[in-house]
Order: sequence, then C-alpha cells, then structure tokens
Amino acid sequence: MSSVTYIEHLPAVPKRRRILNRLGYQEQMTVLDNEQARFLDQGIKQGLLLCQVQGVFGRFKISKRSPETVELDSGLIFKSRQLARMLVSSDEMVLMASTAGKEVTNRISFEIAQGNPALGVIFDAVASQAADAGLDSISKMLNTLLAKEGKRLLRRRFSPGYGDLSLCYQRILFDLLKLEKLELNLTETFMIVPEKSVLAITGIQGIKP
Amino acid sequence: MNKKEFKEYMREHVLVLDGATGTELQKRGMPLGVCPEQWVLDNPGVLVAIQKEYRDAGSDVVYTCTFGGNRIKLAEFGLGDKTREINQCLAELSRKAMGKDGLVAGDLAPTGQFIKPFGNVPFEDAVDVYKEQVRGLLDGGVDFFVIETMMDIQEARAALLAVKESCDLAVCVSMTFDQAGKTLTGTDPVTALITLQALGADAVGCNCSTGPQDMLNIISAMRPYARIPLLAKPNAGLPKLIDGKTVFDMMPDKFGSFMLSFISQGVGLIGGCCGTSPEYIKQIRSQVTRMKPVPPDPKRIFAVNSARKTVFAGSDRPLVVIGERINPTGKQKMQEELKEGKTLEVKKFAQEQIEKGASILDVNVGMPGINERDTMIKIVEQLSAIAEAPLCLDSASPEVLEAALRMYPGRALINSISGEKSKLKKLLPLAAKYGAAFILLPLSEKGVPETAEERIQIIENVFAEAQKFGYQKHDFVVDGLVMTVSSDQKAAQETLKVISWCTNMFGCNTVVGLSNVSFGLPERGWINATFLAMAAGHGLTMVIANPSNDMLMRIKMASDVLTSRDPNSMRYIGFCWENKEEAERPRTHKRVLKPAEQLYDAVLMGDRDNIRTLLDAALREGLSASDAVEQRLIPAIMQVGILYEKKIYYLPQLIQSAETLKDAFEILEPLLAPGKKSGRKKAIVVLATVKGDIHDIGKNIVALMLRNYGFTVHDLGKDVPAEEIIRKATETKADIVGLSALMTTTMVEMKQVIDHARKSNLGSRFMVGGAVVNEHYAKEIGADGYAKDAHAAVKLAESLAKNTGDKQGGSE
Repeated sequence: MSSVTYIEHLPAVPKRRRILNRLGYQEQMTVLDNEQARFLDQGIKQGLLLCQVQGVFGRFKISKRSPETVELDSGLIFKSRQLARMLVSSDEMVLMASTAGKEVTNRISFEIAQGNPALGVIFDAVASQAADAGLDSISKMLNTLLAKEGKRLLRRRFSPGYGDLSLCYQRILFDLLKLEKLELNLTETFMIVPEKSVLAITGIQGIKP
Repeated sequence: MNKKEFKEYMREHVLVLDGATGTELQKRGMPLGVCPEQWVLDNPGVLVAIQKEYRDAGSDVVYTCTFGGNRIKLAEFGLGDKTREINQCLAELSRKAMGKDGLVAGDLAPTGQFIKPFGNVPFEDAVDVYKEQVRGLLDGGVDFFVIETMMDIQEARAALLAVKESCDLAVCVSMTFDQAGKTLTGTDPVTALITLQALGADAVGCNCSTGPQDMLNIISAMRPYARIPLLAKPNAGLPKLIDGKTVFDMMPDKFGSFMLSFISQGVGLIGGCCGTSPEYIKQIRSQVTRMKPVPPDPKRIFAVNSARKTVFAGSDRPLVVIGERINPTGKQKMQEELKEGKTLEVKKFAQEQIEKGASILDVNVGMPGINERDTMIKIVEQLSAIAEAPLCLDSASPEVLEAALRMYPGRALINSISGEKSKLKKLLPLAAKYGAAFILLPLSEKGVPETAEERIQIIENVFAEAQKFGYQKHDFVVDGLVMTVSSDQKAAQETLKVISWCTNMFGCNTVVGLSNVSFGLPERGWINATFLAMAAGHGLTMVIANPSNDMLMRIKMASDVLTSRDPNSMRYIGFCWENKEEAERPRTHKRVLKPAEQLYDAVLMGDRDNIRTLLDAALREGLSASDAVEQRLIPAIMQVGILYEKKIYYLPQLIQSAETLKDAFEILEPLLAPGKKSGRKKAIVVLATVKGDIHDIGKNIVALMLRNYGFTVHDLGKDVPAEEIIRKATETKADIVGLSALMTTTMVEMKQVIDHARKSNLGSRFMVGGAVVNEHYAKEIGADGYAKDAHAAVKLAESLAKNTGDKQGGSE
C-alpha cells in the first residue's frame, strides 16, 4: 500500500548563506553599508513571510528493477539508468514535492513590474531556497519516521530533467502525488506552476548496524 | 473506568501496561504489508494468545489492536466503511483475552496524515475520524482510552477532544519524541504535557521514540509540571534493520533495570513498545510489584504555550510582554488586508513584536466588514505555523473564542473573562473545556469598581467560580485595570494596590494594559513608562504593550534587574549590548559631501530615495546636465560594474545602482542638449524566454539592466514561440535578440530560433543565457555570445551593438 501525506505549513527555513549565494553575495568579499544590510535583512524577512512552504510525500514499493529501469508495485516503470543505479539498494521509492506558494511568486513579478527589482530578486532567491528547504524538511521528517523502522532515506535526490531521467516524468510524479491538491499545475512542457516548486525522487535503505 | 475512578485508582497503584503487539503478531505469522486489524480479525486466536501472555506476564492493561483502526488508515486497505465494526470486534477480542479482572484500553493512534495548521486535514475532520473509532471501541467495552505514538500535538488534541466529547472514560496520551527531544512537528515534552493535561488528559507521557535511558530524560523534563500521572512505554533499545527485519538491541533484564527510576519520576503507567515482548513485561512486573506511585508535585507556575514553546510567568521571572499590535483598530493597511482575506501585515507585526521582545502575541481581529470568526481562525492558523510565541486570544465574542480555542494547537491565554455573571457563565466552561489560561478582569455588571477593595472582591468571586472548573490560582492572571489619571489621580494607586494584593496576599499573577493611564495627557510615553516601572515594583508579571516602544522595553529590562528577576543582570547586559551595537554602527559619509559630489555616491550606493533631491540641488549649484551624466553618473555606474565583477557588490546592489541611474536619466533627459541625448540610446534588443519555458526572472533582470543602460528593449515575456520572436525582431529591426532558458529540455529551443532567423535572413545578433546554458552551447547553436548574468548581458550587448554600429533606438 502507498499513501500520500500533505503538509500545509512545512517548517522550512532556508539557510541564509544559500540565499545570499544565489544573489551573488560572496562571504568576506561583498560589502554592504548599513542601509543595504537593512534592505537585505528586511527583504529576506518579508520574503520568508510571503512564502507558505507546503509539501507532500509518498512511499512507493519497488517491485522490479533492471540496470535501466525501476518498476513500482503499481506497474509504473521509470526508465533511467542513473535512477536505477541510485535506487539499487532500496525496496521503496519516495516521491516528494515542495512549493513556496503562489503569493511569493506573484509578489516577485509585482515588485519587478513596480520598479522594485532589487527587492524582487531577493524574494526570488528566498522563494527558491524556501522550496528547496521544504524538501530538506520533508527528508528530515521522513528520516525521523523511518528511524523507528531501522531505515533512512538515501542521501541523494534525483529529479526529472536531471541526467537521463526525462522531464516528462514530472507528469507521473505530479499525478502520483496529486499535486493539484497543493494548487500546483503542470504546463504542456512539464514545468510546474507556480515556478518556485520542486519535485524529487529518493529511496529508502536500512540503517547499517 | 471513568475519570474520577481512574484518578482514585492511580493514587494507589502503578498500572503495568502491555508490550509490543505488531512485532509479536509478525513473529506469529502476520505477513508484512497487510492490514493488521483485518489480519487479527481473520486470525483472532493469535491476538488473544499474545494478550493472555501479557496478562500472565503481569500486564494490568492491554491495548486494543486498533493502532491503524481509524477510518483514514483503514481506507488504505479499502476498509474505511467498516471502522466502527472492526474496532468493536477488536475491543471484544481484547476483553476476551483479559477476562473480567484485566483492563482493556481503547487504542487510538496517528492517522498518517497531518492536521491543520501543520497539515491539510481540517481539525474537525480529524476529531470526527477519531470519534467514529471511539464509538466502535466503546461498543466493544473498553475500560478507558490511550492515545499513543502521537507525533503531532494537534492530532493528539483532536483525538483527546474526540474521547472527551464521546464519554467520561479516562484518557491517557503518549507522544513520540525524536533524539533531539521534539515531536515530528517540533513540540518539546514540557509543552506537550502542559497542553494535554490542560485539555483534560488523565495521564500524559511518551511511548516508542527511544529506549528507556533516553525516555527517562523526557519523563524527567515533564515531571516538574505534571499534575497528573505520567506514562512511559519505551522501546527495547534502538532499532536496526537486519535481513529486512527491524530488530531492537536491549535485553529484558537491562530493560527492567530502568523501572524504579521511571516510578520515582512520577510514572504511574509503565509498559513496553517496539521490540518488547511478555518477557520484558515480566521484568517490569517484578520490579514494580508492591510499589506505590509517587504523587505529582507540580510547580505552581503560570504557563501558556504554542505548539512549540511554553512561556512561564511569575513575580520571580522576567516581566512578560504581551505584544498588542495585532489589532486592526487604527491600522488602515491591516484593515484592508483582513477584508481581502490577506495576512501579510499580521505576520509582519507578529515577527516584529517577537524580535522586539514580546513573548506572547495578543490577537484581536474585531472590526466591521469581516467575519470575525473565520478571520480569527485563519490568523491563528497562520501564526501557529510561523511564530513560536503563544497567542492571547482577544475577542468579546464567545463564539469566536471557542472557534479559536478549539483549533489552537497549544494552551492559549484568553483576553478576558470578567466578573459579569452572564459572561462568567459562558466563558468559564469554555476556557475549562479547552484548558485555556485567562485574564481575569475585575469588573462587574456595574462597571469598573473605583477602589481596589471592590476589585479584590470580584477577583475572589471569579476565582471561587473558576475553582469549580478545576482552575487554580496560577491558571489565570488578574488585570489590575488601569484607569486614566487625568480624570482621577488616585486611579493609578488603586491599580497598584490590586497588583500588590495579588502578588503578596492572594498569590496570583497580574497584567496591565498601559496606555489607558496616560489618556488625555501630553507626552504620554513618560507616564506609561513610569507607571510600568511602579507596577513592576509592586510585582506585576505581565504587560500588554507595544514592544517596539524602546522606552518601555528599556524600563522593562531595567525593572527586571531591580526586582531581582534577571539573575546576574545577564538579560539586561545582553539587551544593552544589542542596542549599543545598533547605535554605534558607522554611518555612510555621503551626507557630508556637496550635492554634485554625492551624485556619484548615490548611484554607487543605489540611493534612489535621494537621487532627485541631489540632482535638483546639484543643478541649482551650477552643475550642467551633461556634466552630471559624464562626470558623475557614468563613472559611478562603471565603478558599480567593476565592484560587481569583483564580487564586492552582489546582485541587488547592481540593480539598485542601475535603477538609481535610470531615475537620474529620466530627470536629466529633457535638460540634455539634443546632440548629447544620443549618448544613451545604444541599440534595439528583443528579449524572450523561449517556447516551453516559464522561468523569466533572469530575463526580466536582463531587460531591466539593458534599459537602464540606454538600450531599447522589447520584452516578449516567457514561453514565446520562435515565429513570434523572429516577427518582432524583423518588425523592430532589432540589433540584438536575447534568448533565455532555464531547463536542459527547453534550451534546445534556442537553436530552433537561431536556425529560423538565419533562414529568414534576419540580421540581428543573438545572445543567450540561462542556468543551464554556457559558452560552449552558445557557440554550438550559432549564437553570437553568451552572458552568465545581467551585468555580463549588458557588457555583451554593448559589445555586439558596437560591432553592428551604434544606432538611434526606436520607441518601445
């Protein structure tokens, strides 16, 4: 049996360092005066308030595998040599998604259109990292749950569009996780809307004694 | 066993619970992946045998095998509609195993879904799910209930309310904590205990989670605040996966050696969880036989909490600030947002107040034109998710308060309950049902009494009523009732008398809302601050105030030192240090320069706020428009580019400087001589994110930067087909076409556009960019250049434009 769990408020706090990296800030190089530092701090704070990080995860039994494919209980087949290699020691596949939500995405466009692009790019960086932090938060939660079974998640995550896993698997993940429940959509070219959303695949393995 | 019987029984007895059921079932043939509840019904003898073994080993109680017996879990096996029937049958099986003398606890466990505000399942739906299961278990004849392995305090609350609203049987709740001592949703043991015992749990504790050693730490943390017996059901050590099976590493005798420590920490119900078996229960029984429980000995302390934090208050603790700013009165923007169903302003006030030192947030959303109940629920949900500070629910409407209290995932503070009989009658049962603390307002139907003596009489009357609902003196906080001194100078003294009496004679906590005291007087801040200091001196424990008021916060911090509530003055020293840092931050030097000199700095620093003023002043002082451009603005933006390339500047600085430059040019453009105007118009650029790709922030920033550097830009947006790009480039005689793509799957579309352009003999130069694009790819698809970011795009466009010959730009 597989079930999908939704989280409306993920405790996802992105690392400040990663937000700054995204903005081209370099530790011990970039210099901000007081006003710029305040502008950045306020921008990050406001950006975080605009993000409502939601997430979903589901565990799916792997029934068959080959060097090129991974097959789920439901008969669904993922064709990807790299994915098959990553999941070689896993009996279960975990699918997860996280989104920073609509409000922040709309606000990024709004700020740029309103002549506040510097604030817009800060929100953009915050939202991107918040969505990523959402996946980290789900992973942490899942690891807590799995520890009771003597298991944990693989450290690596994989996403459609990476390596040899076609982007069209976004549709399959979208449907399995019923991402419309998070008010997400998929374009004809398999892009998730709102764009500050991420999908990932990982596996479950035992904790080595 | 109803609540009263349970309480009496637990005074004299330690109850030995059972051990693991799931792992025992697996040992005896239950395959993995099946529905355990259904498998047991198909193989009833197996469960009866296990539970009889537990009984024989010394268990006073067995849990029904209904861990996954709620509708949501059963629905995963297509059995949702049989919930009541399955629970009844399983309870009857356990009853059969235990006979008349043993006890059967109806087991409720997680649904596997998350409840609002953390998850997406509505709170009432969760309560209903558990009520259905409770009905089945009651039909099966359980003696009391256990809610176990809870990872989310809100789900535990839903299950607890479901039992409370279905019967009068005792109910125990045990949570699961991780190695960091938190539940999956971030609740610590003390917060879980305080929330659940206030809500009416008859025992609270911990199961699963960990082995006995670590669980002892969790129980020890709960002990000082527990008014009820504690429950412990540890695992048999730590889990490991061996040959596909989860195994635990602690032997029964070692496990049993921890039992005396558990009992000495107030545990009255003890058993085993994962990995334990009848052998482990035998060890427990041998250790606790003839032992009497250690009665609770809780600290008498005021506590309220959110799902993730408990705030204590007392006259020996720092004065607690309740932030008053989440209130739409007089706040236009907040009013507009609330009418539109938005909450950003509320979240901002929450964050700001916490940063400034508020420990609790007062939430009042009463205003015309909104549904106060729905708005309150929404705000409470949002704040519960983002802020750790507990909430003080502030409404005149009992219906609004009930709705908020019901779904608030902690122990809230109600603002307020007065001595008016009609209000007492409605609000006290409500507060008691949800275990809320409350602010006691010593006024009656006659209004606010003038003298302290009259107020004290009301306080005693309300307390007498509250005691009937189980309230003790540290479960509420008395509002001293601050009246305005401009109409009666003795008013402040009366309030201070009440505070003093509560602190020194009666023994309860006090709170004041400050601002009333100074109404009608000039320089109200002085009066408010002085009154706060005086009230603190009389023992005040909480104040409802605006923590952004620096003077008040300084008085509060100083008062904490002078009233011995800040050991070693550490908090005060820390507070001063933070504020000193703020005051001593170096200031930028631009204000000491002449306006013309400051123009350079304004662009360099991206000072859009002052650029117009500076330009006006510089022009008045005789600087010509062309000199402003050539000697100040252009050199400044060149310097910005250099700083960006050296990483001394980051992207927002680059953009702010470019935007400042654009603002300056808009002012100067009409003043420049016709021959000079051409200096900014460089070339025409058509920009687009290619077909299939919806990511456009990078492209938007490039468009903005190009415009700021004088290019005429036609931005076609995102997901743009090749034909449209070529058509626009042809129509505008574009010098440059810029293409953006973020994904490997869409970058191939760039080649389509370039190929199409070459076939159409379009003379434009192509530049490309985007996260996955690089120099090599640009060359491969025949682009004229690649730009890694917005600054590089400007430089590349300038270079491409130069090669094609500068030309006058058209209008967009």
